[in-house]
Amino acid sequence: MPRLSPALIAGLLCVVTGFASVRAADKVSFATNWKAQAAHGGFYQAVADGTYARYGLDVTILQGGPSVNNRPLLPAGRIDFLMTGNLLHSFDNVKNGVPTVVVAAIFQKDPQSLVAHPGQGYERWENLRNAPVAFIAKDAQFSWWQWLKVTHGFRDESLKPYNYNLGPFLSNARSIQQGYAVAEPIYVENQGKFKPVVHLLADHGFSTYSTVIETRTETVAKRPELVQRFVDASILGWVHYLYGDRRLANAAMRRDNPEMTEAEIEASVALMKSQGIVDSGESLETGIGSMRDARIRDFHAQMVKAGLYKAGDVDLAKVATLQFVNRKVGLEEKARLTQGAMPKAPAK
Amino acid sequence: MNPAAPSVKLDHVSRRFASGLLALEATSLTVAPGEFVSLLGPSGCGKSTILRLLAGLDIASSGCVEAPALDGHGADTAFVFQEPTLMPWATVWQNVWLPLRLAGQGRSQAAPAIDAMLSHVGLADFRNAYPAQLSGGMKMRASIARALVTRPRLLLMDEPFAALDEVTRSRLGADLLNWWAEQQFSLVFVTHSVFEAAYLSQRVLVMSPRPGRIVHELRIDEPSPRTTDFRLSPRYQAICRELSASLEQAQ
Amino acid sequence: MKQPFLRRLLPAATLLALLAGWEVLVRVAQVPDYTLPAPTRIATTLWANLPSLAASWWFTLKITLGALSLACAGGVLIAAAFALVPALELALLPVAIILQVTPVVAIAPLILIYIESTTAALLLCAWIVAFFPILSNTLAGLRATDPNLRDLFRLYRATPLQRLRLLLAPSALPYFIAGLRISGGLSLIGAVTAEMVAGAAGRETGLASRILEASFRTETPKMFAALALLVLTGLLIYLGFNLLSRRLLGRWHASEQR
Repeated sequence: MPRLSPALIAGLLCVVTGFASVRAADKVSFATNWKAQAAHGGFYQAVADGTYARYGLDVTILQGGPSVNNRPLLPAGRIDFLMTGNLLHSFDNVKNGVPTVVVAAIFQKDPQSLVAHPGQGYERWENLRNAPVAFIAKDAQFSWWQWLKVTHGFRDESLKPYNYNLGPFLSNARSIQQGYAVAEPIYVENQGKFKPVVHLLADHGFSTYSTVIETRTETVAKRPELVQRFVDASILGWVHYLYGDRRLANAAMRRDNPEMTEAEIEASVALMKSQGIVDSGESLETGIGSMRDARIRDFHAQMVKAGLYKAGDVDLAKVATLQFVNRKVGLEEKARLTQGAMPKAPAK
Repeated sequence: MNPAAPSVKLDHVSRRFASGLLALEATSLTVAPGEFVSLLGPSGCGKSTILRLLAGLDIASSGCVEAPALDGHGADTAFVFQEPTLMPWATVWQNVWLPLRLAGQGRSQAAPAIDAMLSHVGLADFRNAYPAQLSGGMKMRASIARALVTRPRLLLMDEPFAALDEVTRSRLGADLLNWWAEQQFSLVFVTHSVFEAAYLSQRVLVMSPRPGRIVHELRIDEPSPRTTDFRLSPRYQAICRELSASLEQAQ
Repeated sequence: MKQPFLRRLLPAATLLALLAGWEVLVRVAQVPDYTLPAPTRIATTLWANLPSLAASWWFTLKITLGALSLACAGGVLIAAAFALVPALELALLPVAIILQVTPVVAIAPLILIYIESTTAALLLCAWIVAFFPILSNTLAGLRATDPNLRDLFRLYRATPLQRLRLLLAPSALPYFIAGLRISGGLSLIGAVTAEMVAGAAGRETGLASRILEASFRTETPKMFAALALLVLTGLLIYLGFNLLSRRLLGRWHASEQR
């Protein structure tokens, strides 16, 4: 038997592990909570530029939409990871014994806001509660609208359902409606030809994390390395999306949602950056996706005050786990990307 | 015999339908007051058309029709169809009430006439029954009761016994003769049965197939009441033979 | 079938067997509450939330029965108009058909844009779903009058009102009732569908909103409890109209003869 030289051994190992890593790419499904939009950009980026693949993940993104409710798919085992709009959903899950947990918080600020016509006095937040008509969508009616009623004096008399059609709002100057600060204002400007007044709920006490990643507690217990890889790759995807070349990601999103235009996506990204939705506060120190227990507790306390929960309904320890974030993932990459004038291909 | 009875007459009447079909061609006939006349002929010879013209339910294309229904004497004419044509949602009593009710008579006002008529036709025990619960013969009695409750001057009957069995048919025929003798209305009776026309009527008009014309007329002078003896007599058989022959000729 | 007792026993027994099977399945397979709650859990949840669910039930019932009455009135009046004026039918029947086949889930948001009051919008949506069977059946019934009876009424010089009261209305009744039975169920479906799309939270809300609310907040047993009330309503409507049909037609119409 010929002596196996180190080079040969190394080569064999490379082949074997290379083979193994190709065969071992974990198939993972990730469901979002809306049709593809810039607010999902980082995830599409990680698929498009191969970041997930490099972390041994074969990720399929399932879109949500106006009449789609992906939430029950997670506890039912049909998807592996779920994008959730705010922590209220997570509180509800824990309260009802649904075994899911939050593993990362991509948005440091919730873009949920109220938009209004200019020149109607709605430039002041205090006047919004007196609007005769407020268009609020179904799932909001049962969550943060309740908080608005208790904490800020909004009334059910003005509530009208928002069916994701801008028409009623555009035609009634005295009306207000809900909107994603990085989305609706752009559409309003395009269709209504005016710049709406935008009030972020986050600026008035709605301090929840947003676009959090949820998964089953079972997955965290049995395959923590899978969760870690998904979280890390997603964080990197967001870094690349915000600070690097995002054209492939945009193209992927427009394939999923053909009604979205490039201009709308870029305008939305600009807003995400200027409003510090994704990367501000904690994430500047410990990386995108960061979470702090104190903030979760504080938000929960406010919701109890608003009457959405009774004290003791929710076991806060089960809401989120911090083991996968706060590890400064992506900070180096971000520094590298923001130094150069030209967007470069992502480093290995 | 009623001296003031209005006349019942067809004078050179033709009826052409919108489809171009000529149902009747230049037909003339007269019915004397209180007379029992049969119209005998095959299907499609216009017998029903004559009845409908006399009832005012149809309009002649040419010629002149005289009948009580056309003179504004509405209640003077009654019609009995081949189907009993009862209102299925109403009781026998309510069905017989219909002509009186349409003329404005209330329940209590009309009750005596209705009760009397129901007894007369033998349906007194079934006054609260629904048509669905009656036999074919009983339904036809109810239909005749409805027709006679207004004491009409002219009764028009369109093959009324054709759908009934032999026994019921002969019993109803005998009863019809009695009712006719009592009320003395004029009666135009359409049938395709030679035996029925011969046994019941005083005069038989034989008609040819489309376009309808009256091709033969036969008086039957046998007095009323007619009995089974008449049916067995050679005279009856001769009448039938003559009628059958003229029917065949008319084809 | 045999005795009436057995007739009533069989469907009840089947239902109970299904419920029992459901309970056993959930317990044996340890299916979690938030995926599929057991019937006993649904019952306890229903009991615990009875006051608020009952209020929503009442609202849904009001919309359903309100829409049904309007569908009756509208369907019958329009059928009568069509029967009297055939030109009207030629002109408007396509409109009625279009209303019928367009799914109410698609129309409801539009209606809500144009109509201020939510209750009125809900009634309208449920009405659209429910009126067509009554219209088409009643129209058929008005046309199905015995032609000989029609001749008889002409012969006796009946006035139009007499014709309507004594001939047309009774003739059309079995057909109308057939349409009514269909529309009973449809008005419930229409009311629920309309509210799912168009209803608002907070103020008067019906069972559909409660189902949505429970669904969004992952309170699955409560969702099923509200659903159970809806099913019960549908059953009651069905049985109610069965009884009505038997009462009105039992003595004389073929459809009710055994």
